[in-house]
Amino acid sequence: MQMPKPSMVNYFKQQKVILLLLCVIIGMLIIGEVLAPGFSSFKHIQTILRTASFVGLAAIGQTLVILTGGIDLTIASLITMGQIFGCLFVNASDANLWWSILLILLIGGGFGLISGLGVSYLKISPLVMTLAVSSLVNGVTLISVDGAPKGRASPILEKLGAGSIAGMPSMVWIWLILTLLVVLFLRKTILGRQVYHLGTNDIAARYSGIRTARVRTMVYVLSAMFSVLTGILLAGNTARPFLGIGKEYTMWSITAVVIGGTSMAGGSGGYLGSVAGTIIIIMLEGLLTVISIPEAGRKIANGLIILVMIMIYYRQNKKR
Amino acid sequence: MLEKQRNAQMYLPVYIAAILIYLLAGILQPRFLSWSNNVNLLTRIVPLLLAGIAQTFVLLTGGIDLSVGAIIGLTNVVAASLPFSGTAYNIILWLTVPLLIGAAIGFSNGLIISRWGFPPFIVTFATSTIWTGVALLIMDVPGGDISLGLYRTITGKLFSIIPVPLLLIIFFVASSYIVLRYTSFGRSIYAMGGNKQVARESGIPVERIELYAYTASGLFAGLAGMYLSAIMVSGDPLVGDPYVMNSIAVAVIGGVALSGGRGGVQGIIGAAYIFYLIDNLLNLLGVSTFYQYVAKGLVIILALTLTSRDRGLLLSQNHSKFTERLRRPNTKRN
Repeated sequence: MQMPKPSMVNYFKQQKVILLLLCVIIGMLIIGEVLAPGFSSFKHIQTILRTASFVGLAAIGQTLVILTGGIDLTIASLITMGQIFGCLFVNASDANLWWSILLILLIGGGFGLISGLGVSYLKISPLVMTLAVSSLVNGVTLISVDGAPKGRASPILEKLGAGSIAGMPSMVWIWLILTLLVVLFLRKTILGRQVYHLGTNDIAARYSGIRTARVRTMVYVLSAMFSVLTGILLAGNTARPFLGIGKEYTMWSITAVVIGGTSMAGGSGGYLGSVAGTIIIIMLEGLLTVISIPEAGRKIANGLIILVMIMIYYRQNKKR
Repeated sequence: MLEKQRNAQMYLPVYIAAILIYLLAGILQPRFLSWSNNVNLLTRIVPLLLAGIAQTFVLLTGGIDLSVGAIIGLTNVVAASLPFSGTAYNIILWLTVPLLIGAAIGFSNGLIISRWGFPPFIVTFATSTIWTGVALLIMDVPGGDISLGLYRTITGKLFSIIPVPLLLIIFFVASSYIVLRYTSFGRSIYAMGGNKQVARESGIPVERIELYAYTASGLFAGLAGMYLSAIMVSGDPLVGDPYVMNSIAVAVIGGVALSGGRGGVQGIIGAAYIFYLIDNLLNLLGVSTFYQYVAKGLVIILALTLTSRDRGLLLSQNHSKFTERLRRPNTKRN
């Protein structure tokens, strides 16, 4: 099978989006520094990046799924599951850490498999399928700890989730490495390009020999695994288990992907945009908190920024 | 005749399942079948039904409305913070202001979606955040008050025998059924949900129909918010949260296709009963509430995989996917 390359037009369009997002980030840093001196200090930027890294990891899965034209609503429940199970299995001992991570990734992947199979083989709408699976995940999480989460993270896990390596939060390193891998995966591997083809034109993808159902299922499995991984790392960040810790992550991840310029219809966009989108929403949240805007105002601002971004993106599409 | 047969195939399973679950609950706990428990059930099902109807209007056009919950929350707090509490003015305001707000929000959603051609999912997602914020501005913690007379009227009985919620259910389901089936607005919703391009070319003002569908959705969500304020006798800005997903689930269990153009409100009472009874049934069985999540998830998946209409979807999947792709370039350019 011949590998179709991304066209130059698409390439420049994507670069333009990233450039625009970078301008937004720099603009916000300047506004932040004016409103609250110290907002753009190296230390505070590190804090922003650490908070953003958790959302960013969750947004990897969401980006992949949205690129295929789907949506993943299981992210919140899977992050909570990862966090609760992380504390439960690791139980403050580094000896338990590695098999725990493996086991949780497998459990998460299993739920991703259910979503993926439902979406690609039973042709259930991803919205409803992942909604149903997220209900399942919530149930399983609650049942397995009987409503009262126990255990705690181990030293290594805490170092990963809350500590620093070489002067930067270790989460930022993890995010950087995973970003690199995901961008390479989407741009340079056959499987990565197939994810785009699924979103652009499912029928054409099938006729050109792509095993669409299999690739689609894989995307949901990957997304679920990234979600539980985020959960495990969050366990390292908080040390103690919290029910409902992942609650906001589904919406955050969708917002990040949309601000990042990935089309909800699938087929265009990329992870770098989502990275910028993640940083923007976390910075906005921080900025509004700094100038003591209540939660109500933060919500309104969040909604408005999404509306403004889609207006910008859709105007670009029209011109094209 | 054919349509009748298809309707029976689509909606009968929902009602059979609802009745089975209902009877099972009755066998497990005879008190469940008591008149007072049934009235209680009716009272609690109304907001879910209204939210489901709101969602149905939009799903049938092929869109989705994630702002249902935010509209319920906002109209709920508005209804609970109206002035002149306890007087007739208050009741007049209660009957009009939340409804107008609901319809206005729906209208603005529809305007953004139909005029500019933005994806409904993300537009209503954004507006839902905005309106939840506004609701929190009005009331950041649950509070406010409602005329007790309203509470008594809505939970009361007509001629001291027919429960008012039952009348409300019949009225709203019947009127939305009539609108969807027998008015040109309703028929146009089905037409544009089936195939937007064909509908436009056959002279249906697609944009206007879409605008009205979102307005209707906002109106019904507003009704749900009002109703909730009356039975809670107070307002809560976040009361609508669960209704976003539950309204979609109820509409889908009730036979509405998310791709648009198929289904209706005929199955919605059964669907709301199934959705609500699962909790009740598991409580009666003494099962931990945690299992209710699992049960709900399984019911939604089962409803989607087992019912006849979805097997139909599977069989004609190539065709429908193909027409969907044909439509896509046009919808994108808008």
